Order: sequence, then structure tokens, then C-alpha cells
Amino acid sequence: MSGDQGAPIVSAVDLRRTFGEGEAAVEALAGVTVDFPEGRFAAIMGPSGSGKSTLMHLLAGLDRPTSGTVTLAGKTLTDLDDRALTQLRRDRVGFIFQSFNLLPVLDARENILLPLSIAGRAVDREWLDQLVSTVGIGDRLDHRPAELSGGQQQRVAVARALISRPAVVFADEPSGNLDSKSSGEVLALLRQAVDDFGQTVVMVTHDAHAASFADRLLLLADGRIVHDGPAGTADEVLDLAKAIG
Amino acid sequence: MGKLILRGFAERKVRALLTGIAIALGVALMAGTYILTDTINNAFAEVFATSYENKAVVVTPKEALGPRSASEASSITQATVARVRSVPGVAAAAGSVGSQATLLRSNHTRISSGAAPSLVAGRQPSRFESFTAAKGHLPSAEDELAIDQATAERAHLKIGQRLIVAGRSPARTYIISGIAKFAGSESFGGTSIALLTPAQAQYVAASHGTFNSINVAASPGVAPGELASRVRAALPKTLTVRTGAQEAANQTANLEEELGFLRTFLLVFAYVALVVGAFIIFNTFSITVTQRMREFGLLRTLGCSRAQIMRSVVLEGLLLGIGGAVAGLFIGIALAPALDQLFKAFGADLPDSGTVLQSRTVIVSLLVGIGVTVLSGLFPAVRATRVPPIAAMREGVSIPPRPLPSRRKLIARFLVSLVIVLAISAATHSKAIVPILLIAWGIRGAVLYSRVKRAGQHRRYRVIPALGRTIGLIVSWRGIMGRLARENSVRQPGRTLVTALALTIGLGLVAFISVLAAGTQATVEAAVKRSFAGNLIVMNTQAGQGIPSAVAPAVRGVSGVGSVTAVSFTQGRVRDISKTGAPVIDEKSAITAIEPQSFTKMYTIEWEHGSAATLASLRSTGTVITKKFATLHHLKMDERLSVLTPSGKHVTLTVRGIVKEEVIGLMSNLTITSALARSDFGQREDGVDFVSYAPGASGSRVQSGIDALLKRSFPQAHSQTAAQYTKEQSSKVNTFLLLIYVLLALSVLVSLFGIVNTLILSIYERTRELGMMRAIGASRKQVRQMIRYESLITGLIGGVLGLVIGVVGAVLVTTFALSGSGYVLSIPVGTLIALLVAAALAGLLAAQLPARRAAKLDVLGALASE
Repeated sequence: MSGDQGAPIVSAVDLRRTFGEGEAAVEALAGVTVDFPEGRFAAIMGPSGSGKSTLMHLLAGLDRPTSGTVTLAGKTLTDLDDRALTQLRRDRVGFIFQSFNLLPVLDARENILLPLSIAGRAVDREWLDQLVSTVGIGDRLDHRPAELSGGQQQRVAVARALISRPAVVFADEPSGNLDSKSSGEVLALLRQAVDDFGQTVVMVTHDAHAASFADRLLLLADGRIVHDGPAGTADEVLDLAKAIG
Repeated sequence: MGKLILRGFAERKVRALLTGIAIALGVALMAGTYILTDTINNAFAEVFATSYENKAVVVTPKEALGPRSASEASSITQATVARVRSVPGVAAAAGSVGSQATLLRSNHTRISSGAAPSLVAGRQPSRFESFTAAKGHLPSAEDELAIDQATAERAHLKIGQRLIVAGRSPARTYIISGIAKFAGSESFGGTSIALLTPAQAQYVAASHGTFNSINVAASPGVAPGELASRVRAALPKTLTVRTGAQEAANQTANLEEELGFLRTFLLVFAYVALVVGAFIIFNTFSITVTQRMREFGLLRTLGCSRAQIMRSVVLEGLLLGIGGAVAGLFIGIALAPALDQLFKAFGADLPDSGTVLQSRTVIVSLLVGIGVTVLSGLFPAVRATRVPPIAAMREGVSIPPRPLPSRRKLIARFLVSLVIVLAISAATHSKAIVPILLIAWGIRGAVLYSRVKRAGQHRRYRVIPALGRTIGLIVSWRGIMGRLARENSVRQPGRTLVTALALTIGLGLVAFISVLAAGTQATVEAAVKRSFAGNLIVMNTQAGQGIPSAVAPAVRGVSGVGSVTAVSFTQGRVRDISKTGAPVIDEKSAITAIEPQSFTKMYTIEWEHGSAATLASLRSTGTVITKKFATLHHLKMDERLSVLTPSGKHVTLTVRGIVKEEVIGLMSNLTITSALARSDFGQREDGVDFVSYAPGASGSRVQSGIDALLKRSFPQAHSQTAAQYTKEQSSKVNTFLLLIYVLLALSVLVSLFGIVNTLILSIYERTRELGMMRAIGASRKQVRQMIRYESLITGLIGGVLGLVIGVVGAVLVTTFALSGSGYVLSIPVGTLIALLVAAALAGLLAAQLPARRAAKLDVLGALASE
């Protein structure tokens, strides 16, 4: 059921990535071909060393493949130089990190607006207000990250990822550093972004509960996709992961 | 443990290098200074030793007021020479004549451009002659002259060329007959020497049959020491008799003492650079101790004792100090000739023959370099010992502050230090140390108070964030990168402060000195305007050198000249003899000699006691003193002073008047008549002549008349109007300022390395943050920009602090130290603005390397880092 709802916004063809050289070479990705249709929430899971993070880095233009191509919002990333790649990330990609990565010297509002500030783009007030009320940090906007809880920080990070209306948001273990309550809130937010704003989200996680928020589940093992199907409930995800093992 | 330290160095190469350079530059200037001055001393010592080799005994006038104070008139006559010849054991004796003079090409340009004087010497009988002809022959005819080889080479002089020699008599032209070596050496320091026939040397020196010294040769079998005592017994007490070796040693010692000021002057800048280096080492060690908390915590967990941690950090400092100091020593060896060139460029030509590296230079440079490094690293090392083992497990553990000392301990310490200070004060009869103690305890108290106030809360410095944010406004309009730079620059206020302070030291001194210099220029101008009532000032074109006393009468003869008054400067040891008991004054003092009849016509005096009539009736028994001197020594009108003159005479002077002379004025502590200066002080030269025009005379015509005369007969002198004089003094101050700026630039350079170091360390701390920014789309250019702005702000904080401290310091010093002295305060706004621009540029320059490093960060690696 992979590519049948909407056009793909990100796609990879026969993606390979090798680290190191000679005998010490490790093949992190061994030929991955995958499409991510617009407006869907995909979760990528897999055991440590399965290549799930490498895949996300390549899809997001943070790393370059050894061979194969990545296309994001109509641009072939492998053709772009560093400057163009940086610009593409700035304008078309949103990021959510496990450790929030907010700038400690800026308050919450400034952190949310950071991608626009970097790009020198005007702020869409309505969009900002809508995002702020969606992530629910309206009363904390003037606080610096040190004054916010982990959950609040990650919600600010979600707003930051969405503010530039990117083609795709990549989330790297977004709930990894959060307690279960905050974790649920943040994942629900991502779900809401997909449902209400038509946002495309690609999330890497090792948490079956997190993956259950997604529409689609990709399982990676030894650098290859070993399962691609609907996500289902947390238990179903867990069973699948165990089966593949 | 040792292995761990070395491993650490290898991993932090750039930091070790930058910190090492910070200490190396100061050490280099120190070593360079020692090497340069040792080299100069050594060169002179050799020349003196050689030149006195063939003289068993040397007779010179006694220097009643200490070295280099001999009166301009010598008491050695032909009769003295004859008396020496009659002493048994004397094989030969000859009077020698020499004097300062100005050497000029036939187109009237000076030969030596530097401040080093030129000397003229008369030929000696061959057994005493120190000169040998390298080319041509030594002068045998009255119109011939030989010039030293170094000068000939420097000034491109050839045999057969004409030279003008201007001494104390009207100038004469000579033909170069030979190029000479002096005592086997090509040069006599930077000094040019012209050798003339004895008669011509006497003419140039206007010595009227007297000699500067007598060279004596011993008969075979008579030891120099024995001969010296025989000669001494035959001569009056006003003459000094030394063996040749003693005289060489004496001359060398005098010269070393004179050069001592140069050494001190340069060492001051070396110490400033070292203090700046100390700041940087302290800062670097503090930052790395913070960054290595995990490592220290781990070591503690593994069972390392606090002492071991402390030792490891101190050892790191020691290694760094050794590296920096050794590197500094080598740079210093290379720097010594460069310093020499620097002084040449500023007009002080010093000799340079070979490089003298004394073991003292090596020992002092290494000790100071290593000592400063270890001491600066000590405090951070103590902090490292307080890292708790838990730091290995958790992030965000902070080093607990030092516990506050108990009240009882504080009081005990205060009392102990007070007792010690009072004891020292009593032992040295000096009260100066007591306020220092009180100030020190005041600062200690303030620090403790502020620690108590903020105990329990996060440490915050308020001034620096406020200053940084304000200065940051100049970049915050440049979008988010400017905004971030502004915040980042004050993120660690303590760190920013120490980094900026390193720059502040250098720039603060520049600001301080520039304000003092501007004030000096303004004061000179005001003093000239207030006091000088004549039309022209005639003086030597070279500062500090006099003009022949024949100038004044000659100028008087120029048509259109109304009157001329000559002012000369001498010295004496002043004693108060009016009071009973021990003399209250016993000091060597400058003395001004004036022509009482004409002086007041051209110099406005503000009298405290007395009037122009006082001067007119001064005669050779009276003196006028300044109010400052009178106040200092509680002198009143009609008190009597005894003055020992350079000729060794005692004159008794009665205070006839007191003047309110200001800081830059002609009148020294004592003013006497020129007649007395000539008769009893042996004064033969004038310092300056004042000229006023006759009524109705055309100023420009009179000045060109005077200039024509000076060019013809006294080419070492020139005439200036008050405006020209003021302008020339200003430009001299500026030249000196430039020299100081060049030397202070070294300290600023050292502080730049400090900024670079701090930036690199902060970037290292913020690796993940930078990675995130790059990931969400910040370009390399934007990252570079952010780091540059950050550094710009740090530079400007240093600049602003330096400016404030320098200007306030200068204003305080001039207000308190020079109050009532007529010092005019002047703020050189242009220089100070340039200073701020320089601080900004320094910040931008320092950011180059760190900015490039930050922009080159690998995004994925940075994101993965802790």
C-alpha cells in the first residue's frame, strides 16, 4: 500500500552507504528503494545498526550516499552542492531531534522562528499563532529553554520544524528523551500535524508505542527494508519487530 | 598521569600552541631586551678596553656631581701636562681634546640622523692613538679630517669629499683624508667620530688651550697602578687619576648605567605582555577545567586523589610554560636585531656587533615564563580538585564554590597582616604600604560581600552582560546571526570579561598614554603662549644638544634684531646652610642660567615674591627658586643655599625671589645668572636663545637674515617662531608615542591569541548547537558571520573598557599628580576613536580561524557530539 495515496514527496532509489574502506568497510545501507507520499506519517524502525538513522540522514540531505539517488520535493539531492543542499534543508525540510537542540540564548518564540530568521523570510503571524496554540506553549513563549520542561522544549522544537511549512519533517527519536506522558503529547502533535495540516512526517524510532502513531511502518535490518506496511497498534508493531528480529 | 597529560596536549594542539604563543611573546620581548642591551654594552666594553690598552694612566677632571657631569670647561692645561711629564716613571704624556659636534655634508644635511651624538677628537701622538687608517691617511694638514668607517659606510662618504664640522666655534669645512677604525672597531656604537689635527680639535671644542684628559705612558718597569699613585700625588684634588684599565671599566660602567633606562623601558613592555599572557593562560585553563569535568570526575571515581588532579593540571601548566618560555627565548634571539632596527627607525642608532646571550638572559627568561604560566594555571588547578566524582556520571554538575572563610578566621588574618605591614612600615620609615593593605582588604571585603549576597543563586556578573548587549546592538540589526552573536558573547560573562580584559590592558595603556601625550602637547602650547614674549627661538636642530655661546652675539649683529637673550642649563648639588643641624636638602638639581637684563623682556614670569628688578639685581650671589622647590624644602626668601658646581666649586646663593613656574617651563628649581654659570659652573654652551625684533623690522626678513647667519656659521642651529616650535615639539611627542604604540602592539597581539583561544573553546562547547543550526539550514557563511560578530563584540568590550580605564586613569593622574602645575588636560578624540576601530578590527581578525573552523564542522558529527 506504499505509493497509492498521493504523490511521493521524498523518494530513494537503490540507496547504498558504506562507511570506512577496505576490510573495515561497513555497509550501513545495502540498496534501499522507497517512496514517501505527501501528507503521510511514516515510522522507520529497526535494531541498532540496521541503518535506520543513516537512511534518514541521506533522505534529509545531511549525508551523501555512496550510490543511488534521493529526490526531495522534486530536487535530486545527489546533484546539489553544499550551498544548495543547505538552502533546500532550510526551505523544504523540518527537523526534530532527540535532544531537542534548542538555542539556549533564544526564548521559545525566537527558537520557533529560527528557520525563518536564518532564511530571512517574513513571519506568517496567523500560522505562528495557530502553531503556538496547537503545541500549547502560548504562555511560555518568552521563556528560554532552560526554563522549560523537556516536553515543553520538544513541543517548541515541533513548532520550529513546522514553521517554515516544509515539504517533509524528519523526526529522529523525538520521544527518546521524554517521559511517557510528554512522549505521548509530542507524538500526538506529530499525528495532528499530518491530519490537520497535511504535513509529511518521517520518524525514526525504536519505540513500538511511538511507531503506532504512524500510518506506515518500515522495518530495516542489515541495511535493507524487510517490512513495509501499515503501522497498526503498538502490540502489532512489537510482534512484527520480534518476528523479524 | 604524565602520559595522560601528554596525550591531552596532543589532542589539543591548537589550544596548546595558542596558549604557548601567549607566553612566548612576552618572554621573547624580555629576552630580546636583555640580548640587545647586553650586545650594546659588550660592544662598548670592547671598544673602551681596546682604546685604553695603550694608556697606562689617564687623567680627567673630577666629576664632582657623579658620572657624566663634568663641567664644560676643563681645568687641564698645558701646564698640567708638563707637571705630569715631570713625574718620575712617566715615559710620555699628551693632552687629548674631544667634544660633541655636528657633522654635516657640504649641502648642510646632517650626517647622523639619529639621536646619537657626533664626536670630534684631536690626533694623538702615535703611541696613544686609538685610530688607525682603514683607507687614506689620518689628518695631517689643518683642513683634513678622518671619519670612522661605520659612518662613512652609512652616509656614503668618500675620501676627498667635504664635511662641515660645527662645534662650539663657528663651523669650518674639512676634506676627508681618510676612513678610520677606532680601537680596531669599525664603529663606536652609533656615534660618528671625526678625527682632526690637535689644533683644529681645540678650535672646534673652543677649549682655549685646555684638554679633556691626559694620556700617560709608563717607563719600562713601572706598573700602571704605581704610576697612577705617583701622578695623583703630583696633581691637585680636582683631577681624577685612573689606570687605563680602570678608566675603560669606568667608561663601560657609566655607559651601562645610561643604557639601563633603555632596558627598563623595554622590560616594562615585556612585563605588560606577560601580564596579558597570564590572563590568557588563566582563562584557557579555567575553560578547559570546566570542559574536562567529566574526565576529572572519572579520574576521581577511579580513585585519583585531589592532589593528583591538582598535580596533573599544574604539570600541564609547567610543560606549557617550559614550551612557551623556550620558544620565547628563541624568538627573543631573533627579535633583538629587530628591536635594534626599531630604535634605528625612531632615530636612536645603537651599535650591534654580534649577539650576546648571557646565561642570566636564559635563566631569567625561562624562570619568568614558566613562573607566570604555572602561577596563572594554579587557580584553575585548585578548581579542578573540587570536581566531584559524580561529574563523571551526570551532565550539568557544577564545581562547588570555595567555602566562605569564617568570620573569626577573617579577623585573625586581617590582624596578622596589619601587624606585619605596620612592622615593615616602621622598619622602612615608609607609610606607603599601609594604604595598599587597606585597599587590598577593601577589595577582598567587597568580593566576599558580593559572594555572600549571591550565595545560593547562580553566579552572575552584571556589568559585562549589560555592556556586551549594548555593544551587541551594532550587530543585532544584522538579523538572527547578529542577535545570536550578541547573546553568545555574554553567555559566559566571566570568560568574556577575562578575554576582553587581556585586550583592555594593551588598549588601556594606549588610551592612557595618548591622553597624557595630548595633554603634554597642549601644555607646551599653553606654556609657550603664556611665557614666551619674544619673536624667535634659536636652538639646536637636535633635541637635548646645546648651541655655542657665540651664537647669541652673532645673532645680535643681524640687522633688524632688537635683543637676544641666552638661556643655558647646568646642574649642581644643592644644600641648605641656613638651618642648623643636618642639611635638609641634599640633591642634584637642574639649574637654569639667564641673562638678567634681557631675559624678562622675552619671558613672562609670574612672581610669588620679587619682580623683574629682582632678576636685574641677582648678581653672582643671588638665585630665584620655584615655588614648588620652595614648598618642598620649606625655603623662604633670603635663605642661603650652598651649591656644589660641576667644576667642583662651592658657591653660596641667597634666595632673592620665588616664581610660580609651571610644569613645562624654562626655570628649573634654581635660576642663576649666566655670568655665574660661566665662571663657577664651567658653562660653555647655551641651551636656547630668544630673539625679539627691533621695532618696525619685518619679521620674515629678520628671520631669513638669522637663518643665513646660522647656516653659514652655526649650521647645527635653527630659528623657529613660537608656532613652529610648538609644532615641532608636538611632532616629537608623536614620534615617541608611535614607538610606544609599536611596543604595546605586542601585548595587543598576545591578547588576540587569547580571543582566538576562547572562541575555539566556546565553539567546541557549542558543537551540537552549531550542528543543529547547519542542519536546519544555516549556511557556512552565516555561521562564520555569527562567530565574527561575537568576536567583534568581545573586542569592543575590551576596547571600551580600555578606553574608559585609560582615559579615567589619565585624568585622575593628571588631576592629582600634576594639579596646580599648569598641566592642560586634552582628550585626543580622534586617537580614541581610532582605538575603538582597532579593537573592533582586532576582534574580527581574531575570529578568522575560529570562524572558519566553526563553518567547516561536519553536520552529522556535530549533531552526534555531546
